Formats: sequence, C-alpha cells, structure tokens
Amino acid sequence: MVVKDFRVSDMTCVNCAMRLQGLEDDLPGVVEVKASYRTQIMSVKFDINRITESQIIEAVRLLGYTAKPFDSQS
Amino acid sequence: MTSLWVAFITGITTGGLSCMAVQGGLLASSLASQIEKDLAAPLHSSSRQRTFRIALPIMLFLTSKLVIYTILGALLGGLGQVIQITPTTQAIFQFVIAVFILGNALRMLNVHPIFRYFTFEPPASITRYIRRKAKGNTSLFTPILLGVLTVLIPCGVTQTMMAAALTAGSPLLGAALMFSFTLGTSPVFFVLSYFAARLSVKVEKYFVRVVAIALIVLSVLAFDTGLNLLGSRYSLTRLVNSINKNPAVAGLLQPGLTGEDLPANVLVLNAENNGYRPTRLHAPAETAVTLNVVTDDTRSCTRAFLIPDIDFGVILKATGTEVIEIPPQKEGTIMPYTCSMGMYTGEIVFDL
Repeated sequence: MVVKDFRVSDMTCVNCAMRLQGLEDDLPGVVEVKASYRTQIMSVKFDINRITESQIIEAVRLLGYTAKPFDSQS
Repeated sequence: MTSLWVAFITGITTGGLSCMAVQGGLLASSLASQIEKDLAAPLHSSSRQRTFRIALPIMLFLTSKLVIYTILGALLGGLGQVIQITPTTQAIFQFVIAVFILGNALRMLNVHPIFRYFTFEPPASITRYIRRKAKGNTSLFTPILLGVLTVLIPCGVTQTMMAAALTAGSPLLGAALMFSFTLGTSPVFFVLSYFAARLSVKVEKYFVRVVAIALIVLSVLAFDTGLNLLGSRYSLTRLVNSINKNPAVAGLLQPGLTGEDLPANVLVLNAENNGYRPTRLHAPAETAVTLNVVTDDTRSCTRAFLIPDIDFGVILKATGTEVIEIPPQKEGTIMPYTCSMGMYTGEIVFDL
C-alpha cells in the first residue's frame, strides 16, 4: 500500500475536491483519497498491485481534471 | 394556535424579505458552490436535471435553517428569560460575515490562492459519510452548514419572533412559533433565489463573476450594518441619510398631540414599517431626556430598536409606546439610533 500526492491545479471549488474524493468509491485498489481545494493537492492511498499511478491520473482526467505527480519533499 | 398562524403570516410577508436582506449572502454562497460545480462538470445534463441541481441546495439551505431555528425556538422557550445580545455583539457578527462573504467573492474572482481559505472545507471523513449516504451527491454539506449559520445573523423580524419565543412559556410552543415563522419565510427565499439562479444558467459563463460582484455588494452592506450597530457616523446609510434628509416632521405621541407640544427634553419618535420618523431629533444638552418610541401596528424590523451609544436595545411592541430615559449628554453630541439590522437609522442631536 502506498500513498501518492498529486497536484490538481484545476480544482476550482470545494465541490471539485469532493468529486475527486469520490474516486475512492469508484476505483478498485484505491483505499482513500484526500483532496483539498485549498492546497490543490490530492493524496491517494492505493494498492500498487491492483492499480497504477497512470490509471489514477486517467480516472482524474475522465472527471475533467488534470493530476500531476507531486513530491511534497521537493 | 392563533399566534402560530400570525408567526407564519409574518414570515411570509415582512419576514421573508427582511431575512433575505440579511441572510441572502449565505444562500448566494450555497448557490455559488452549485453553479461552480455545474461549470466544472461536463455540460450534458438536461434542463430537468439542472432545475433539480439548483433547487436542491436551496431546499437543503432552507430545511437546515428551519431545523436550526426550531431548535433555537425550543431553547428560547425553555429558557424563558431574555437573552440579551448587545449591539456590539451583533456588530461583530456582521463584520465576521462581511469578511467571510468578501473573501468568498475574491476567491471566486481568483484574486489570490489565500482566499481559498474562505471556503468551508469539511473533513474527508464527513464528506465520505455524506457522499455514501447521498450516493455521490457530495455538494450537500455547504448549503446545510450555511443554513445552520443563519442562526448567527437573525434579521430584525426574526429577533422579534425570538423575543416572542422567549415568552412562549414552553420549549414546545417556542419551537412551534419559530418553526411557523421560518416556514413562512421559506417560500420568499426559495422563489427569489431559484429564479435568480435559473436566470443565471442562461448566462453561466459570466455568472460566477456576477455572483462574486453581488457578494461584494452584500459584504459592503453587512459591514455597513455593523458600523450602524456600533453607532458609527461614517456608515454609508448615514451618509445617504444626510444627503436625503427627511423633513423633520414631529413625531406623534398620540392623535392630536405632537412632539412640539411637549417639553424640549421629551422626544417622540415614530417607529414605522419603513423607517423612523423623524430621522433627526433635537434635544437639550446637559439634561436627562425622555425618548418615547411609538409604534402603531408596526411589523417591520424597526421594532428591534437600538441606541448603540448607551448600549440600549429593545423589541418594541407592535402597538404602544416605549419610554427610554437617556442620561445627560454634552452639547453637540450626536447619538445615533438604528434598527437591529442597521437598515433604518436616525440620530438625536443634543444642540438645544
């Protein structure tokens, strides 16, 4: 199980963040999604044996947003 | 039963418009979230779906408002004693609301990322719970919360009802009274906001900006109300009043007896449905003054009468005379009076 952060710069409101959080119900292998409109960061906890990072990015794209991998250390 | 019916009628007439003036900003914030969501989502929904999506947040807002005011009515009825919210406290609430609304407007205009902090961002655990309860309809939280927040900014007519709930004698009757009144205000809220939002769909490209500008105007009004409640002479309302000076018509204590027939230190002020008459009273300095505030079937927020400088506030009877003793003031003192919403103002000038 890994936790990966993504920057989603086109979140325009709290509702966008809530829509992204809904991915945890829709994507097999995703355990938890925390998305913040304030920070524009989406944090995803997922099982790398069941879903890949690029599949998550694609799912976000289908919702109408652009997710880019984000390293909070950098 | 009669009092409940009166409360409902008051709500559907003066209460709805009066509360809309004060709490409209919070409802607009609820709708703004929904409109933003519509803009963010792909636009292949039907007209019926859009109608529902606009109506839903309004209904949630009004329902949560109804629930919270019913609870408040029960508490007030149970307490059975006057809860004194001072003008200063009300002013602080107004300033907080003004800042919140303004911050939200600037966020919508994308002025700076810092304004994103003016939105309510509920914890993921709460949104998860709501989402799973509502099967994905995650925008429910904002209108519900904002509806609850209206309890912090009751309009003048609502305060009158709150005073009535205090004297209702029981939590059940207090709750029923506030429920009837708030239910009465709901159709006005719904119709005004629904048609405003439906109109917006036709111009949705610009609506976020239109709403943002409307919020800025509401923010200025809320701030101005705060200034009035503090008795400031530099509020916009007073500026407008000073430009459009009402004729200094003497107040009528009772038919046939004008204020001019009374001693100089006895003043008469009429609290009418559309304001106070006159808007400027003259009184002698260095002597105690008696102010008679007269109501005659008055139903508007002028009944929630405040004199901020002496921290005085009272809910006037619909018909009657409230006698207020004002301590001696220095020559040249200007003492503003206002309704609790800060909408209607006037002043006593101690220059005789």
